Amino acid sequence: MTTAETRLPTGADVLSELQKIYERAKTFKRLLTSDAKVAQTPKTVIWALNKARLYRYAPVVPEEQRHKIPLFLVFAIMNRPHVLDLRPGHSFVEYMLRHGYDVYLLDWGAPGPEDRNLKFDDYTLEYLPRAIRKVKSVSGSDQFNMLGWCLGALISTMYAALRPDDGLKDLVLLTAPLDFTDKTAGGFARWTSTPAFDPDKIVDAFGNVPGEMIDYGAKALKPVENFIRNYMNLWDNLDNPKVVEAWHAMNTWVRDIIPMAGAAYSQLITEFYKENRLMAGTLLLRGERVDLGRLKANVLNVIAEADHITPPCQSEGLMDRIGSQDKEVFRVKGGHIGIMAGSGAEKSTWPHIEKWLAARAD
Amino acid sequence: MSQSIDTFNPFDPTGMFKGIRDSNMDTWSRMMIELVNTNAYAQATGAMLDTWLSNSAPLRKALEAALVQVLANFHLPTRDEVAGLAERLTNIEMRLDDMEGKLDESLRAARETAGSKARSGGKTKSSHGEGQP
Repeated sequence: MTTAETRLPTGADVLSELQKIYERAKTFKRLLTSDAKVAQTPKTVIWALNKARLYRYAPVVPEEQRHKIPLFLVFAIMNRPHVLDLRPGHSFVEYMLRHGYDVYLLDWGAPGPEDRNLKFDDYTLEYLPRAIRKVKSVSGSDQFNMLGWCLGALISTMYAALRPDDGLKDLVLLTAPLDFTDKTAGGFARWTSTPAFDPDKIVDAFGNVPGEMIDYGAKALKPVENFIRNYMNLWDNLDNPKVVEAWHAMNTWVRDIIPMAGAAYSQLITEFYKENRLMAGTLLLRGERVDLGRLKANVLNVIAEADHITPPCQSEGLMDRIGSQDKEVFRVKGGHIGIMAGSGAEKSTWPHIEKWLAARAD
Repeated sequence: MSQSIDTFNPFDPTGMFKGIRDSNMDTWSRMMIELVNTNAYAQATGAMLDTWLSNSAPLRKALEAALVQVLANFHLPTRDEVAGLAERLTNIEMRLDDMEGKLDESLRAARETAGSKARSGGKTKSSHGEGQP
């Protein structure tokens, strides 16, 4: 016998339900429109150039127990890097600090109209070497380890190939978009390979490519998940504080969109997506050919198996081309962001990266 | 999260949709992912974007030209002029950063020299008290 059959709802039941719905709707709206506290790990700015900032996180382990070689984090150029330090208790930065690493993070900043001519040449050979110089200077170490994520991994890879003797010991690449041989792998490769898609027209219209446009493109790769199910899941779990807290922090990061420098965007689409110059060995940065065979640092290539932004085949091709003796591919179940910021990251991706680095430490 | 008959709540506006939603969402999601990954979709969106950018370009350029004229009349700098100034400031920042880098190198070399002198038994006093450059 069911509840519906035994008792019909009274007026008080109706009011109570309406009150609950109203409260849930208020919470829902607050979560959608407010910002959670993200990037809370204490840090200091140790270097700045134009919009870029280099942070050093306050170590939590005594100096004698710390790894001597600093860990330098490089995130993508079209998102904020806070996702590496999402919230207290669920932060990759915090995790690595606890394991005795001296952690530095490069925040590229949001480009202004004056930065529309910035290219990967500038990021790789102007900004990154200066930040690395500062990391070495502050840490007192001639060597450093670098972790690059998404376009940060692309920049890190190019740097490692162009400056193989600059002290880079271990290179961790996360969901690195490097090989665009397969034009049907993933929505971005397919969309940008059509002749009608002209990045120069977009840059001509906007200068820098608006963050909203990049955000829409990323979400449109999985429209139902991003535009509908994401919010349905939140509504279903409004009574679960853990889920709500995690969702709010992630949504805060997702909403904090920044533009991408126009020239870099045009270069990304034309020279990487359309012409695949890095893999073809024809990519020139400031006149220097990027030869992946010269990359000799130890490499851990982390691939997200369900990545719709950087499909696995865009990262796998690197391994046969680099000159590194010590190289490993680590496949993780999950998506582009989930493998590092999802609820399972602390049990799978982070420990693997930490152990891989620790095994080669000092 | 679909509601069984036992837990059916006639006052939950989303409740009625949950059963339908949960049973169809995965299929719908897969269909949409497949759709956006077709050549037809790529060509259609590419063509739409191209049309919009091409059609709006003359208007945009006319507006920009008018704005430049207005700013000139008020003796105000244009956006390109301000951007150019900002670029020059960034270049100055880079030169300063180069100088800082060279200073770091000199300090480090001086420390190493002082350290090696001290190790070789000399009584030379180190003038470097700072820990970090």
